[in-house]
Amino acid sequence: MGAARRTRVWKRLVSSGNPFILAAVIAGFVLWAHFGSGIQAFRSQVSSAPGWQQFRANYGLDDFGADSYFTRAAQNGYNLFYFTHEHGRRFTRKTARDAVNACAGCHTAEDLAYGFVNSDRFDARLGKRMSFEERVMRCYAGPMDGFVPTLYDPAVRDIRILARAVAHHLQLSEGARKDGG
Amino acid sequence: MAALPARLLKVALIVSILGGLYLLAVKKHAEREALRQAAVELTPACKAKLQDYALRPGEQYRSPYLLKTAGSSIELRGYSEEDVRAIQRGCNIFDDLQGHLAKSGPRERWHADRFVRGTQTTCVHCHQGVGDKQDAAGNRLVGSNSMGTSWVMADMYDRFTGLLLPHDWRQMQCYINSSNGFKPNSADDLLRDVTAYSRFLAAALDLKIGNRYPEPGMDEIPASATLRRGDDYVRGAHVYRQRCASCHGPQGLGTVVQGRVLYPAVAGPESFSLDSRMNFARVNTVMPGFICRNMPPGEEGSLDNQQCRDIAYYLSTLPRPAGDKQGPLVAAWQQLMMTVMPPLTRYAGSLGNNDTAHVSH
Repeated sequence: MGAARRTRVWKRLVSSGNPFILAAVIAGFVLWAHFGSGIQAFRSQVSSAPGWQQFRANYGLDDFGADSYFTRAAQNGYNLFYFTHEHGRRFTRKTARDAVNACAGCHTAEDLAYGFVNSDRFDARLGKRMSFEERVMRCYAGPMDGFVPTLYDPAVRDIRILARAVAHHLQLSEGARKDGG
Repeated sequence: MAALPARLLKVALIVSILGGLYLLAVKKHAEREALRQAAVELTPACKAKLQDYALRPGEQYRSPYLLKTAGSSIELRGYSEEDVRAIQRGCNIFDDLQGHLAKSGPRERWHADRFVRGTQTTCVHCHQGVGDKQDAAGNRLVGSNSMGTSWVMADMYDRFTGLLLPHDWRQMQCYINSSNGFKPNSADDLLRDVTAYSRFLAAALDLKIGNRYPEPGMDEIPASATLRRGDDYVRGAHVYRQRCASCHGPQGLGTVVQGRVLYPAVAGPESFSLDSRMNFARVNTVMPGFICRNMPPGEEGSLDNQQCRDIAYYLSTLPRPAGDKQGPLVAAWQQLMMTVMPPLTRYAGSLGNNDTAHVSH
């Protein structure tokens, strides 16, 4: 069937206004999308960014299961932390051309973990108690020259989970200091 | 021309309504800020707990618990005055959610009573020892629902919700199900203060982030941990009458004396909902675990696994509020049963007592 003919058939269908035919078309589309399109409705895999396998080994992420829900969230956190301009595009204006375009430009993974165990503390400069999530949100809006994700967004949650994973590897307690005392 | 003043009047009305709402929000904000700055009067249990753990403002924090149990303690970051007040408020919320012990009532608990339906609920009913239950020797108890450990083990996969469950979301679930109420906002002081308290407990007990500890949650008791005689609510009712009814009441409606909850309701309108994990009909391992590890107070461990399962089964047959997952028909049915059953049961009980009296004569 040529393109012109297909268009004619489609126009005739729509102009006929037959609700059964339209319902059948919609149902057909849904079935095709579900079974025939090859598009995955839910992707359990997170794209593997460079250095992930090394990071995973270095920080003992497999403690939480080789392919657990937690590890995948930590992997997404890794992607966001080291490649923010690629994986957190919605919340940053930084691009590959910027010298600092990821959280890792200013912080190390250890910084993140120590920041996590020292969060929910009063910040005299801001005059309020600041949670870890609020700090991440401020980073997106400030140094990353972008926008503030909601508290529930994976762009915030997965960075917290990455911080938890690293803090676990370092065996940090609440309030642990980087200088050790 | 007449239309112009009318239009102006409408605009002025809208502007004044919005302005009024803004001023109200500013006033409420200022009230909250004043409450954050106010000194905290601790409940007796919190006073003892926080004194034991030497909570005070300072540059460093060293845990006396660690010093006592391990002989040495590490130096951790100290707490500012604002942090100390948040921790104290969190402990108060935990011990006295609805402000029964507070001078200004629920106001001092961020009006937590907005988020619960009953008048009895408070966190320590399930999280005993103000969220940090220990034996006389200071050992943390397995399956005691400890809050410090639940903080360090938060963000893990939760099999009931299918989520990586953060600490604040878990608190929300407590409000919705265990308190048969409503969900506070994640950024609400109510949740943040309890998180601050949980984090302080984690620091005081030197718990490491992400480590597995046996204290949080219940030490669940599946049927496989029994002799597999089958769970029996009739047997459960019998044991309940012998071991539990003297505190929780013959119908599980709790004991309240002069407005003070001595023993919480385990059934009826003041109790947890059908959706709660404590409801044996929903999750049949949690409530038995709680009973075996924590009940009766002072005689913990005196019930065997099968008895705990039987009691939990019996409790699940008593009427209680419907949860979010049940429809309006179930909710109406539960409401009817909660209204009708207590007087009927009392009446049936009085008949039984008369018969007994008659026989004894």
